[in-house]
Amino acid sequence: MDFDLGEEAALLRGRLRALIDANMPPGFLGAFTDDPSDLATTQEFCALLAREGLLTVAWPTEYGGQGGSVWAQTVVREEMWAHHEPRGAQYMGLNWVGPAIMAFGDDEQKRRHLPPIAEGSVIWCQGFSEPDAGSDLAALSTRATEDGDGWRLRGQKIWTSYAGMAQWCVLAARVGPGERHEGITMFLVPMDAPGITVVPIESMLGPHHLNEVFLDDVPVGPDGLLGEVGGGWSVIRRALAHERVGIARYARCERLLSLMAGELRATAGRLPDHLAVQWARALTQVRVARLLAYRAVLAQEAGGPPDAAASAARIAVTRCDQLVAELLFQVLAERSLEAGPSAPLAGAIEDHWRYAQAATVASGTLEVQQMIVAKDLLGRSR
Amino acid sequence: MNPVLPQEAVEFAGTARRAFESLGGVDVARRAEADPDSREDVAKLLADLGVDELDPLADPEQAAAAAALCEAAGRVALPYPVGGVVLRSAAGLPVAAVPAAPVRVDHGDLFDMWLACGPAGETMPARAVGAPLGTRLGPFVTDLEPVGGAAEDVLDPASGQALLAWWLTLSAWTILGGLDRAVELATAHAQDRIQFGQPLTAFQTVRFQLADAAIAVAGLRELALFTLWRLHAAPDHAWPDVVALRSHALDVARPVLRATQQLHGASGLCDEVDICVLVRHLQPALRLPAGAEDTARELAAAIATDGFDGLFPHGATAGDRTSA
Repeated sequence: MDFDLGEEAALLRGRLRALIDANMPPGFLGAFTDDPSDLATTQEFCALLAREGLLTVAWPTEYGGQGGSVWAQTVVREEMWAHHEPRGAQYMGLNWVGPAIMAFGDDEQKRRHLPPIAEGSVIWCQGFSEPDAGSDLAALSTRATEDGDGWRLRGQKIWTSYAGMAQWCVLAARVGPGERHEGITMFLVPMDAPGITVVPIESMLGPHHLNEVFLDDVPVGPDGLLGEVGGGWSVIRRALAHERVGIARYARCERLLSLMAGELRATAGRLPDHLAVQWARALTQVRVARLLAYRAVLAQEAGGPPDAAASAARIAVTRCDQLVAELLFQVLAERSLEAGPSAPLAGAIEDHWRYAQAATVASGTLEVQQMIVAKDLLGRSR
Repeated sequence: MNPVLPQEAVEFAGTARRAFESLGGVDVARRAEADPDSREDVAKLLADLGVDELDPLADPEQAAAAAALCEAAGRVALPYPVGGVVLRSAAGLPVAAVPAAPVRVDHGDLFDMWLACGPAGETMPARAVGAPLGTRLGPFVTDLEPVGGAAEDVLDPASGQALLAWWLTLSAWTILGGLDRAVELATAHAQDRIQFGQPLTAFQTVRFQLADAAIAVAGLRELALFTLWRLHAAPDHAWPDVVALRSHALDVARPVLRATQQLHGASGLCDEVDICVLVRHLQPALRLPAGAEDTARELAAAIATDGFDGLFPHGATAGDRTSA
């Protein structure tokens, strides 16, 4: 029995931290701020990671990746999220759009789309959710109709992260009269195509995160079809499975707890006993969430259906996100509502609290994950 | 990275589970309440399993076997202090982690003499005095009285602390077994029980309760595995890990036992239903040597002094960017 991630993982973690320390500005809180230089910083950092051979650690070598172990990939997820995702919006292209194109794309699509992702020069967004198809994604109604040898897209997407910054969108639409999973088809759509309108949604997450995307007879060439007509649900399942294990929220929780404890020590601040006890419990919860996430990684590596383990991990990880956010707000007390560079930890805790509220909704709600876990439990009981 | 019990431990646990089932499963606890001497059957069975040969401190394989044995015991509320017996002292005394006062331990009446291990790891030979409490929640909880003892039974503080750490860890594995079984029982009951014309599991709120209980137990299992590994991989730094495991086991036990018993309805309060016996017989492990809040306070103190293993530094070195 061994819980050590190994020497390769430790070296990789050290390299990533050194690069982040040397290249990310102090107080960086992600690409989705009102300051456009934050987006530029992430674009430069992606290019740097690409030059260092660290952007596509997870990708197979035949596509220019490093073929890194699942634990190397885990380290990347942890370090990136812990440090407020210095890859900005590009993580989505790296984590699942690229791999989906490898799995379902034709040679021309691979030649066209994979190199820009691997070089860190393109942002992808994901057009899944619709006003009437959230948790119940198979209810989506955006339609794709044949037009010559290509397609026309008509409908609306919502909650589309980074739609305002993305160059490309991987988008699910329905072909033909089918219902539910039948007819769902995946398209690769340039965001500057005529007929696309992006409308930002004001939210507590800050700018750029949530958007509506209106599709008004958007033309897509034959080269925009990813996989087979009607084969889109397989792509979606692959994407969602990846997302469930994808975000190592526990890593940011742990880093913020560490930084805040250091801050308290430096200022000779002392926690009241009841908060010190909550803190100890929170650290334990963070460890449990991390270990459950590792179990989900192992389940995926073993090739079995990752659903229940991934959902259990996701529930633990997202709840831990909110637990730590609330604890740190208790610690900051009257200063908890301050934001920006002058706020405690340069606003990182205020930022974390806001994002944590979305953790149990994004990429599949807490309730959907609970249903997956329950279904597995009931199946095993019989 | 290989976070699984060794195959030998898994097989040993399977053998132990079958053996405990041969005693009637949870019936073994009911029988012990009616006839305390029937616990001798458990002692004989454990001897047949080779428990006397187990030494969890010797190597990770034996530690895993001891942990898996304790988990199997927890699943049937085995009326025997398995962890304490596995951790016997050099002179062969069973080990008891005890509160400062009153010094008491579950099944203390089974042995004349114990090696009692206090909250700070101080050790003292102790004699069982008086009869067990005999209550519904602590039928076999017995007071001990420290006595002067032979030198080999009074350990130096470091050895005493190590023994305490192992006792708490094995106890957490027993709690894990009980909670795991509780979720299985509640799941089966909710599938069988028809109300409003459909199984209870047709109701989403029931499914959510079961899912949350299952996830809590799954998380406790991961922490128990991790802590078992730490005890051999980093024995000089594992105290906060052990206290975290103990603390988490107690924190998880409350909602899991409550939800799984609640899902049984009124039947869950009846001694003829297994969940009721499990809930009652787990109480001594959840209250002794210390309950959830005292343990969480001890955890906060342990982290402040010794840190907490993870991706970033905690405790005395928290906030350092270079160490983790």
